[in-house]
Amino acid sequence: MSRKWLLPITIMCFIAGFFLTFQLKVMAGISTVNPISERNTNLITIINDLEEEIKNQEELIGETRDNLDKLQEEQIKGRLQELQDSLKTAKILAGLTPVAGKGIVITVDDNTEGLKANPDDDPNKYIIHYSQLLNIVSELKVGGAEAISINGQRLITTSEIRCVGNLILINTTRIAPPFEISAIGSPRLLAEIVTASELAIMKLSNYPVDLKEVEELIIPAYKGDLQFKYAQTKGEN
Amino acid sequence: MWILPLLGLLAGAFIGSTLTYEVPPTYIKYMSIAVLASLDSVLGGVRALLENDFDSTVLLSGFFTNALLAALLAYLGDRLGVDLYLAAVFVFGVRLFQNLANIRHGLLSQLRNNKQEK
Repeated sequence: MSRKWLLPITIMCFIAGFFLTFQLKVMAGISTVNPISERNTNLITIINDLEEEIKNQEELIGETRDNLDKLQEEQIKGRLQELQDSLKTAKILAGLTPVAGKGIVITVDDNTEGLKANPDDDPNKYIIHYSQLLNIVSELKVGGAEAISINGQRLITTSEIRCVGNLILINTTRIAPPFEISAIGSPRLLAEIVTASELAIMKLSNYPVDLKEVEELIIPAYKGDLQFKYAQTKGEN
Repeated sequence: MWILPLLGLLAGAFIGSTLTYEVPPTYIKYMSIAVLASLDSVLGGVRALLENDFDSTVLLSGFFTNALLAALLAYLGDRLGVDLYLAAVFVFGVRLFQNLANIRHGLLSQLRNNKQEK
């Protein structure tokens, strides 16, 4: 039998091998590029950039406020004293200054143990929801809390506690568990009112809950922008 | 003597895996047709060998005309909005099985002949 067939078959084998692996490679490349995940990465970059910008702006605001404080300090001698004092109280009320005092610190976290024990169960039953934080905050307010912060975010009149997927947004900042809620006020009263309701419910559902009474608690100032475009002061008639 | 085609296959596979060229998604079905056409030609060639009517011109021209016709069909299908390339895929698939069956028959009869000769 002559060997004339050897070369054509080899050529065909070469072509077949080439196309086979090339196509395999192309298809493998396609399955890894998911347009949705690509879009998500884009969105994540946008979010990160915006958060960076918010941070920068907050620093700018902080600097400007410091400057303003200095200018006001300079003018403090004389008849402005009274006005300065009222300004200071107004700032404390607005949450624009860090405050210190007695209070309580509540730490709550997702019930990861419970979820591990029942992996088939609805995970919603084991994570902290924004409504639980809202309830705790409301109760603290009822208990006469004078300043409240969650994970370092000072709660002021315009502060939102909002659900954004698996995170919670406070002062447009993303907050993730564990949540540390600090409140300045009468420790005994605050602890009593909080343990009586929401915390009790959470404890029943086996959430890791911790409550500490603290002698010296510092709550940071609100870092964001605070402007009133629509509300105007009106004389008390 | 079967070493050379095997080496050819490996060399092709190697070049195919090292080549990094982005194929536009629309051409992927043409590529798949090329894969099937080449596999079909290889098996067809082996079958012809075993049946002793091997002709290199028939083999190579068969590959190119088959691939070309299939590509044309796929293109026409694209224009018409009908997945005509599936027809090519189907035909090539059927031929793959037929060729494979013929090769098996050929090999088995060869094996039996050898045994009888002994």
